Amino acid sequence: MAQTLHIESRGGRVGTPLLEVQNLVMHYGTKEGEVSAVDNVSFTLNNGEAIGLVGESGCGKTSVALTLLRLLPDNSVIKGGDIKLDGESLIDLDEEQMRRRRWRDISMVFQGAMNSWNPVYRIGDQIREALRLHWPETLTYQEETDRIGALFELVGLNPVTMERYPHEFSGGMRQRAVIAMALSCNPKVIIADEPTTALDVIVQDQILRELKKIQQELGMSIIYISHDIAVIAEVTERMGVMYAGKLVELGSTLEVFHRPRHPYSYLLLSSTPSITGPRRKLAPLEGEPPNLLNPPTGCRFHPRCPFAIDKCSSEEPGLVEVGEGHSVACWNWQEVPEIGGLQK
Amino acid sequence: MSETMADAGADTQPLIKVENLRKLFPVSKSIFREAHDFVHAVDGIDFEIAPGESLGLVGESGCGKSTTGRMLTKLTDATSGQILLADEGELIDIASIQRSHMRRFRRRVQMIFQDPFESLNPRRTVYDTVAESLTVQRIGSVQQREERVAELLHRVGLTPPEQFLFRYPHELSGGQRQRVAIARALVIDPTFVVADEPTSMLDVSIRISIMDLMLKLAEEFNVSYLYITHDLAVARYMCDRIAVMYLGKIVEIAPTEELLSNPQHPYTRALLSAVPVPDPAHKRERIDIKGGISKALNPPPVCRFIERCPRATDHCRTSDHPEFTDLGDGHFVACYNL
Ligand SMILES: Nc1ncnc2c1ncn2[C@@H]1O[C@H](COP(=O)(O)OP(=O)(O)OP(=O)(O)O)[C@@H](O)[C@H]1O
Ligand SMILES: Nc1ncnc2c1ncn2[C@@H]1O[C@H](COP(=O)(O)OP(=O)(O)OP(=O)(O)O)[C@@H](O)[C@H]1O
Ligand code: SF4
Ligand code: SF4
Ligand SMILES: [Mg+2]
Ligand SMILES: [Mg+2]
Repeated sequence: MAQTLHIESRGGRVGTPLLEVQNLVMHYGTKEGEVSAVDNVSFTLNNGEAIGLVGESGCGKTSVALTLLRLLPDNSVIKGGDIKLDGESLIDLDEEQMRRRRWRDISMVFQGAMNSWNPVYRIGDQIREALRLHWPETLTYQEETDRIGALFELVGLNPVTMERYPHEFSGGMRQRAVIAMALSCNPKVIIADEPTTALDVIVQDQILRELKKIQQELGMSIIYISHDIAVIAEVTERMGVMYAGKLVELGSTLEVFHRPRHPYSYLLLSSTPSITGPRRKLAPLEGEPPNLLNPPTGCRFHPRCPFAIDKCSSEEPGLVEVGEGHSVACWNWQEVPEIGGLQK
Repeated sequence: MSETMADAGADTQPLIKVENLRKLFPVSKSIFREAHDFVHAVDGIDFEIAPGESLGLVGESGCGKSTTGRMLTKLTDATSGQILLADEGELIDIASIQRSHMRRFRRRVQMIFQDPFESLNPRRTVYDTVAESLTVQRIGSVQQREERVAELLHRVGLTPPEQFLFRYPHELSGGQRQRVAIARALVIDPTFVVADEPTSMLDVSIRISIMDLMLKLAEEFNVSYLYITHDLAVARYMCDRIAVMYLGKIVEIAPTEELLSNPQHPYTRALLSAVPVPDPAHKRERIDIKGGISKALNPPPVCRFIERCPRATDHCRTSDHPEFTDLGDGHFVACYNL
């Protein structure tokens, strides 16, 4: 009984590897050809850790998340690679086995989910439905209600509001309820895809703080996905930068921000305005992200890269270590200056 | 409807002067009954914009930014108040402008919208879209118009122009569409442009090139902007001064760096303290405020921020919404407890 009130992360000892992603490749098949949305992506999420994935629209962030959950549309093909959770491979599980992992082991706050509540059911009942489908045992109605109340409190909602309908919730409240639902079955990992993107900054700040508290107090492991690098700076310990389906830089958030080594990360950081620090001229990133139907040869960033050298257009760089836990996929990373260096 | 401004030095005159501007939207339960409830979308605001100056209008969703912009461009009529526009030595009152003056007004004032996917007509080519104002205003010969459109496309970075002139919006990227919208707004040399979240739908990388373009063009064409955004970092990059709006009221207005480094209104402070900073080493001072923004539906006459204010006193509860206090150097704040 008390167990149903207990909200926890069922992950292992903080700091040990929990989710290991190795050389993941995923394509979408379309009439025009194959869209190379996830190309050779590898990273590890440790227990109790928050990591971030950033990159421009269409670079494959959501696709990575959907591949981890194996919630892909019919036209997708996982071409290779492995996903291990607590050492167990998820790639080979059949659909029924995978279904039991979702929500209970890995759950997700979907991009735009706050707008997909069913308008005709009470918010609490929609979470109740998730509990009935995914909680390992059958709970009494009262146990369900108690648990939903505890989840609401955890995300900063008054439990009495579980009786309300979606239209009676503000955007921020709907998003908190989405997070409560993601936490409902004590997952080991939560993937939060653009969790605050449509919200005003004060509400965004409150929700990010609550997620951070949940991560730290429950030892929850979280993958944040955002196009907003300032959000990633706020909440993550390590981060990966994606460009055109590839992970091009991976490292501690502090180091990637203070000394980015990939030209794309460098330009992304240089083109982000801030309300702190000196008011500086920003360096625009010229051009547009490539069409993944037909990505550029060699390094996918070469048509836009101010640091490109001859071999960039023909040979593809792999990830190499440039510091402790810091790797980058670039032939010419030594040439990338400190932030602000290009403008001088 | 216009008064001359012969008695003042032209260079110290504002281009735009807004006085006690209001917009109430009726909320009626039935179309047959007169409304008794009103949303006070914009509730008595005052500000000025100098020639060539860019004023940022910031605040949370629903605080009245777009409604203000729409009144200034006459897409919405004001409920009351004045919007004065300086034009060739005259002050025109936009709020009560005559039909016969509309053409002249449209030459001076233009708008750029948030969504480049919606604001362009899908059945018109880039040329038709950009040339529209010239055609409507009957400016120049056909050949002169073609030259002017090509020049504008060049200025906004759609080069070579011949490659873009006859494309339709669906053949352009989001960034390119916004460039077309900017070219359309600037083609007739306006003196004042309202830009309503012009980059918020665009990717970070494209965002900077559009912002830089707008800054460059502001200088070249000497236009003033009212730059509407919910993103304070963007406002800092774009604007000389910033006005902070809360539920229909401007609560603080100051030169940009002054506002960011020395915010005085409790709402401005809370807002600034919530902005994420792209530096993981940066530790922010957090200022908590209660609840979320609501609608200004039949608001009581007291301070609009009172329900969320950590500083509210009995005086606030028994007094009208505060007037601006002048802190000097163009810094104004509407709060009793400074
Ligand atoms: N079902 C699909 N079929 C074909 N292509 C798809 C499909 N879903 C996504 N794509 C393509 O795959 C690429 C990666 O898309 P994805 O949604 O993962 O990007 P994202 O980084 O999450 O972008 P955003 O920031 O806009 O959410 C894009 O080029 C997209 O157009
Ligand atoms: N046509 C309308 N009819 C009724 N109410 C309206 C109308 N337009 C705006 N409102 C209301 O007026 C208030 C101000 O809206 P406005 O669109 O000006 O806000 P905003 O600051 O631009 O918000 P956002 O950041 O979301 O664009 C809101 O409460 C809104 O619901
Ligand atoms: S590999 Fe070459 S093109 Fe790619 S990011 Fe590095 S320098 Fe630029
Ligand atoms: S006037 Fe009073 S209630 Fe209003 S912002 Fe100032 S202290 Fe708060
Ligand atoms: Mg996405
Ligand atoms: Mg608006």
